[in-house]
Amino acid sequence: MTIIFSKSQQSANLSAKYGYDEWLVSRFLEYVPDVDGFLSKMEIAPTQYIRVNTLKTHAAKLVKRLQLKGFELKTTVVPEVFAVTKAPFATGATTEYLLGHYYIQDLSSCIAVEALDIAPGQAVLDVAAAPGGKTTFMAQRMNNSGIIIALEPNTRRARSMLFNLARCGVYNTSVFKTDAVRACLFEMKFDRVLLDAPCSCEGVIAKDPTRKTSHTPEDVDYCSRIQEKMIETAVRAVKPGGILVYSTCSFAPEENEMVIDRLVQNYYNITVEPMNYGSGGLVRFGDMVFGDPLKNSRRFYPHLHDTTGFFIAKLRVN
Amino acid sequence: MIYCKPNRNERTKINRALDRWGAFDFFKDKVLVLQKDDTKKKIVVCLVNEKIEELLMAGVISPYSIGLAIGELRKEFIPSIAGADLFARYGKRNKFYIIVTEKAEKLVSYGRDIMGESIVEASEGLAENELVILLNSSHEAIAIGRTRFSGNSLLQKGRVTVTTLTDAGYYLREEG
Repeated sequence: MTIIFSKSQQSANLSAKYGYDEWLVSRFLEYVPDVDGFLSKMEIAPTQYIRVNTLKTHAAKLVKRLQLKGFELKTTVVPEVFAVTKAPFATGATTEYLLGHYYIQDLSSCIAVEALDIAPGQAVLDVAAAPGGKTTFMAQRMNNSGIIIALEPNTRRARSMLFNLARCGVYNTSVFKTDAVRACLFEMKFDRVLLDAPCSCEGVIAKDPTRKTSHTPEDVDYCSRIQEKMIETAVRAVKPGGILVYSTCSFAPEENEMVIDRLVQNYYNITVEPMNYGSGGLVRFGDMVFGDPLKNSRRFYPHLHDTTGFFIAKLRVN
Repeated sequence: MIYCKPNRNERTKINRALDRWGAFDFFKDKVLVLQKDDTKKKIVVCLVNEKIEELLMAGVISPYSIGLAIGELRKEFIPSIAGADLFARYGKRNKFYIIVTEKAEKLVSYGRDIMGESIVEASEGLAENELVILLNSSHEAIAIGRTRFSGNSLLQKGRVTVTTLTDAGYYLREEG
């Protein structure tokens, strides 16, 4: 059940200043560092990032080509990813984009793939895979070897994913029009499983400001229930010693730490592994206390990390 | 959807096309699987790796898609943009290619037909009604077209000399 906190003068002022429903702001005040800075950052368009598709080109060559067209790029913590600091025209309107030399993808989303520690030749399950940004990144890290099983139940989204896979020259992937819960039918075990779970999308309010007021506590409850079912299935698909990465683009602890905490409590053989980037996960929310390992999960805030809002937990299944 | 290995006739058609674009050697050790719809009228040629082939041949599951669709088998093999991209990158690029000017690149990428003055270079001996891969100045496949004229007539000014059949811009149009 989504936790609602009592309103205060501060929550009333901030929600009036930035146009949010107050229940949402009063929650942010409980766990987001520097809420005013955070809400202010959400008012401006997020930094755009591109990921070089090394299946088709290499970073130096692409950067040079884009610079000749007037783009300015800055390196990031992920070697294949660059921040676009100046774009003379739409980043998706270049020939290089059409030819699949890069993919427009947020840095946080690339860090989720980085957390998988993927190696060529592995078997990978990508749950809720469309539109395929993370899938294509995994394929390039695997150099088109091994196998990626990508699940996407929605026909329109699955179709859109095929175009992205084709544009990026991916041929180690097989797409299945099914959901995570039915994935157990495969009876396959995977070295790596990525569950980028459907969520309430609080983290992308900067891209879609309507969520400031259209988003409800019931959305969080609904997503949280689905996420719990999905992660239960996903964890059973991991080989012993394998890694499951769980991510969402939501700030809500009910969709993040709470889901992971329940999983870790139910399965004695799962550990939350540390990661290099982002802020530590919450160990307390309202009157709820999570296990210490949750510190190893990672939160990404727009005003601190210059990404969209994101949560990542890297889980080792022993 | 039915997935199977190409039979002898189908393989011959594919090989002929690979040879046509100088990509036979690159595909020699690659696995190709056919995806046929239920009527078996539409046959898509997919590049896969050995792991995907193993999974398919086990026959326990039926995927929505596999690997990379490099073209379609009709009377002849018609490459997709993804297939043309591989042919251009790994093939010998000595036959059935046309290079367009930088100015024309953008227009062709979004499906415009090609005027004679937009052609920088065309493979030798191209006949009329020939299937060709259209390249930009960096020798990257931006479209697939069909010639309307032969030889030097392809370069005549003021006329459309190549019809564009498929273009790289379709990814954008279809993706959304």
